[in-house]
Amino acid sequence: MHLSSSYILSLTTFVYLGATAIYLLYWIFRLEKVGILGTIVTIAGFIMQTAGIGMRWYESYQLGYGHAPLSNLYESLVFFSWVTILVYLVVEFKTRNRVIGAFATPFACLAMAYASFSPNVQDSIQPLIPALQSNWLIAHVITCFLGYASFAVACGFGIMYLIRGDSRKSSSYLLEALPSRKTLDELMHQTIIFGFLWLTVGIITGAVWANQAWGTYWSWDPKETWSLITWFVYATALHARFVRGWAGKKIAYLSIIGFVSVIFTYFGVNFLLSGLHSYGSS
Amino acid sequence: MLALTSIIGTVLPQGESLQFYLENYGPFYFKIIKTLHLYDTYHAWWYLTLMGLFSINLIVCTIKRLPYTLRLFKRNYLDLSKDDLLRRPFKAKWEITNRNNLDQLKEKVINQFLQLVGKVKTKEDVDGGKLYLSEKGNWSYWGVYLIHLSILVIFAGAIFGSFTGFKGRVMLLEGESTDHAIQMDTHGNVKKIPLGFTLRCNNFKVDFYPNGAPKLFESDLTIIENGKEVLNRSIVVNSPLTYKGVTFYQSSYQSVPDLKIRIVSSDGEQKILDLSAFDKGLWPEKRLLIGIIKYLPNVHGAPAARVYVGDATGNQGDAVWLLQSHDREIQVGKDTFRLSLISAKEKFMTGLQVKKDPGVWLVWLGCAMMILGFGIVFWVGHKRIWLWIGQDNNRLEIILAGQTNKNKVSFEKEFEKIKEAINKQVGE
Repeated sequence: MHLSSSYILSLTTFVYLGATAIYLLYWIFRLEKVGILGTIVTIAGFIMQTAGIGMRWYESYQLGYGHAPLSNLYESLVFFSWVTILVYLVVEFKTRNRVIGAFATPFACLAMAYASFSPNVQDSIQPLIPALQSNWLIAHVITCFLGYASFAVACGFGIMYLIRGDSRKSSSYLLEALPSRKTLDELMHQTIIFGFLWLTVGIITGAVWANQAWGTYWSWDPKETWSLITWFVYATALHARFVRGWAGKKIAYLSIIGFVSVIFTYFGVNFLLSGLHSYGSS
Repeated sequence: MLALTSIIGTVLPQGESLQFYLENYGPFYFKIIKTLHLYDTYHAWWYLTLMGLFSINLIVCTIKRLPYTLRLFKRNYLDLSKDDLLRRPFKAKWEITNRNNLDQLKEKVINQFLQLVGKVKTKEDVDGGKLYLSEKGNWSYWGVYLIHLSILVIFAGAIFGSFTGFKGRVMLLEGESTDHAIQMDTHGNVKKIPLGFTLRCNNFKVDFYPNGAPKLFESDLTIIENGKEVLNRSIVVNSPLTYKGVTFYQSSYQSVPDLKIRIVSSDGEQKILDLSAFDKGLWPEKRLLIGIIKYLPNVHGAPAARVYVGDATGNQGDAVWLLQSHDREIQVGKDTFRLSLISAKEKFMTGLQVKKDPGVWLVWLGCAMMILGFGIVFWVGHKRIWLWIGQDNNRLEIILAGQTNKNKVSFEKEFEKIKEAINKQVGE
């Protein structure tokens, strides 16, 4: 079989699936070796995926199009999954807690599975239409997806927080392995701040680009509007914490609501509503 | 509220003609849509009111917090006792007794501290000792005001731009020029906006990828002012041309037919007319008028055009299809004419978006302020490091204390460095 980038990228789906399973096993059996194996598999998947993205970039030059692999739904899903793993690996390295992997790697695995195996997603390399021929494309997509991926990880923390919830009452074996509520709360807050910053920069780079391409920095296109709605949700979460002192459970719910809004901004808008961002839907 | 109502605008198609909504949503919803301006939600009076309320809310909440911030900002951190210092999150304490050169040691420790922290404030007679305070980043409390202000600056830029600027379109055939842009509102009213200079399109180029997707749209433009050519540039999508605050963006194109038609009347006279898409062709002697309705570049391998042929008064006439090298006869009034399409060429017409927005710089300024504000709010901490040093007779007491509201990890490193340095001095 011809070794194409999309073949390698579809294989990473299974590597991340394996990583998810290993992290789950680690969570259940708490064997240090299993945890290390999980990290190794994740890093291996990450390297493979990086190679796949690099190859795809190279292939686009061979086809005579020559553009960064960030131009359609397939490529954005691959990139989303890649950033999610990157953010997770940083978190794992900083917190030294591998149970988090069981909550973060599934997002990357699902994104890759959807990209590689859904009939709605074309994995062929397409040339860039004139509107996308801009250096702002790279800046815009990278910043937005750094935001999205951080929110995915923050959502993972939110879910962990809620699962851990009343663990003080019935301290179970599984829940004990999760980071403490205080740590989770702090991690959630930090990743939301990180994501919020990138989302803001993403919206701004989008505005600068739109102004250059169409002469309007803000057109109330559904994607723009939904990104603003998402921005409001996280702005609310941050204000609630800074001003009202909200923490823990309430922020965890907001983090999940925020991520639902991210998903809708990302997919829902593409499939259900029409607008300027329609290149993202095929 | 803003977030919720914004959703309406994303679900309902925006900016269509009123007819569109009546046909697609029925009379009942049409009434709602029309009354609430839902066809243009984001410019509806109630949406703008919500935006206004949001701005006021932002200002009021910000002002309400002002005294609190001022207190934080102005608070004097020298008004602390020895015990207060020992209750700080970071602290260290030394007691040195029975040593000869305590004065010298005291001097050394103070110098070491000053060398590491820089500028300090001091206070004498604090529980019998002297208190040194290094305070950094207390201005970071203002970062949040910068962010809130940035949102208002962006709004101001948008409002200023919408009052002083304009947005319109220009459609130009190759070789054609114009001195105004066209603006059309949702009700279909057309307005001409003078540019203040003349714009000419010299040439338009379109290029495709092998798979048929468009690769390049390029217009070669010349600006003419007071009869002189002042600027010549090619624009493509993502690379507009700005002259005197007016920017031209490549946004679309049309291919427009240019036909040569031969008409032979029943008395044997003939005329050849050059016909372009938006012109009428006239044969004055025969009071004949002809115009293009539709053009197809390829019908069974030859170009074809549907043309209107009629009396110059517009009273009688008919539309016919002309196919190249197939003559057609048509009767207008009492005369019969024989029409043949001799040749067909395509000319391009470039579609440009025209915009003048003097407020855009305010918007970018607001964006820059917002990012700077985030940097301050999320990363610049209010760092305080105290050194208290007291001596009585043979006893020297030193307290080092620290506190920060952000980035505790890097602050801890800084604190540990000072602690180690003092340790070294004391240990000698």
